[in-house]
Amino acid sequence: MRQIVTFGGGGFSMEAGNPLLDQFVLDLTGKQRPKVCFLPSASGDADHYIVRFYRHFSGEQCVPSHLSLFRRVKAPVDPREHLLDQDLIYVGGGSINSLLGVWAAHGIDEILHECWEKGVILCGVSAGSLCWFREAVSTFHGPAQRIEGLGFLPWSNTVHYSSEPPRREALFSWLGEGMTPAYAADDGAALHFVGEDVAQVVASRPGARAYRVELRHGHVVTTQLATRYLGDEAFVPLLRPVTMLEA
Amino acid sequence: MARRTILALGGHEFSRKLGNEAIRDYILALAPGPKPRICLLPTASGDPEDQITAFRASLGGLRCELSHLSLFRLEHEAVNLAPYLRAQDLIYVGGGSMVNLLAIWRAHGIDEILRDCWSHGVVLVGQSAGAMCWFDWGVTRSAGAARLVAGLGLVPGILSVHYHRDPERRRTLLDAVAERHIPGHGIDDGAGVIIRGRALTASVSARADAAAWRVTPDGRGRARETRLEAVQLPSPRPAIDEAPAAVIEMRSLRAARLAASRGAWSRR
Repeated sequence: MRQIVTFGGGGFSMEAGNPLLDQFVLDLTGKQRPKVCFLPSASGDADHYIVRFYRHFSGEQCVPSHLSLFRRVKAPVDPREHLLDQDLIYVGGGSINSLLGVWAAHGIDEILHECWEKGVILCGVSAGSLCWFREAVSTFHGPAQRIEGLGFLPWSNTVHYSSEPPRREALFSWLGEGMTPAYAADDGAALHFVGEDVAQVVASRPGARAYRVELRHGHVVTTQLATRYLGDEAFVPLLRPVTMLEA
Repeated sequence: MARRTILALGGHEFSRKLGNEAIRDYILALAPGPKPRICLLPTASGDPEDQITAFRASLGGLRCELSHLSLFRLEHEAVNLAPYLRAQDLIYVGGGSMVNLLAIWRAHGIDEILRDCWSHGVVLVGQSAGAMCWFDWGVTRSAGAARLVAGLGLVPGILSVHYHRDPERRRTLLDAVAERHIPGHGIDDGAGVIIRGRALTASVSARADAAAWRVTPDGRGRARETRLEAVQLPSPRPAIDEAPAAVIEMRSLRAARLAASRGAWSRR
């Protein structure tokens, strides 16, 4: 089964002390001690980011590793072999342009596609979310940018949705210019895709949501998706999708 | 057209070790104007803080204005890349992964911007990956084993850095020159070459044992190395390159132990 989980924001790098989204992707593997590989490429393989990954993905709950594309001399591992052997691949945040550039240069994009087809669960936050989609709205470099991603998921994507209004404005105007319908997620919300479609939305915060945003009859229509809060089994999510019309 | 200048260094860091300060002073001398603007591009290593800190510590307080451009952290400051880089007097490109460096530059359009900077007289300096990127080809270890990777092509031929410190790179350069009949250069750590326009015009060295080498096909299917006459760069103060006695002793002990354990393995 091909699965991708995209965080609008959250996980160990953004929600210190809230392990809900990270636990969700670990549980999704169905393994007692899943093999998890961290790809910190979007941060330039920042040491502090790698250290924090190992601190949160401890050897008790998983078999953690990371793949550095800046220091391959020091870790001569075959990336394809290593990535195909994982249960979960976790892509960190940072610069989406740099991420895609570096992956293409090392052939990681093709390897990840192979992993996805094979059933390795792919997940990521921020740039690690945007990368899986056909198109994405990034504001990493200041003004909003329309980015072409890997295209595993035939949609557009944007992250940190409610906390960064410029992304919404850019998304709306590009939808008007023919951008693919989008899935957008707030900080703390994650979209779980099975195949190309959304299977569920989960959240590490009660108020975090994900949305489908698309153009219908010349109007941008935003549909809030039913979201399951991971922190409380008894919490009843908003099941009625709320449709907001934008002129 | 403005005078186009590139300084390609075989290995340099912003520290007091092994002639690094002599090279730093030479870089400063290359930068035009009374208080030149010098920008560090640490892209090839993923913009690590330690490289940026060392650059600022080494050049800070000298007659220049410093800045750096972290492409991985642009979210903190929106920069208009083209005018920003064009406004520099000198751009220093750090080492790391040549493959990543070029991929990231292309993703941000910086390859074209730097070409433009070069033709407008901004001095381009780089070490290791940051030196090879200007040539047609570089001998990189971006994927572990040494291999040839295409650079930006501002300077013709193949460049190999860390020349005598890394025999595999040297071997790769010699083979490539012999097989492809393309001229090449090998540069040791602590040495560099000056390229004006597209021609190599001088070589500099900050260490007695460091040089740049021209590698040419010898006409009989092999390659020939010629050591280039270098301008020796004076050191502003004694370099810190001697390890303390205790450290040297520890290293030799460790080497002996390693050799012994290898022997044990091979006997099995």
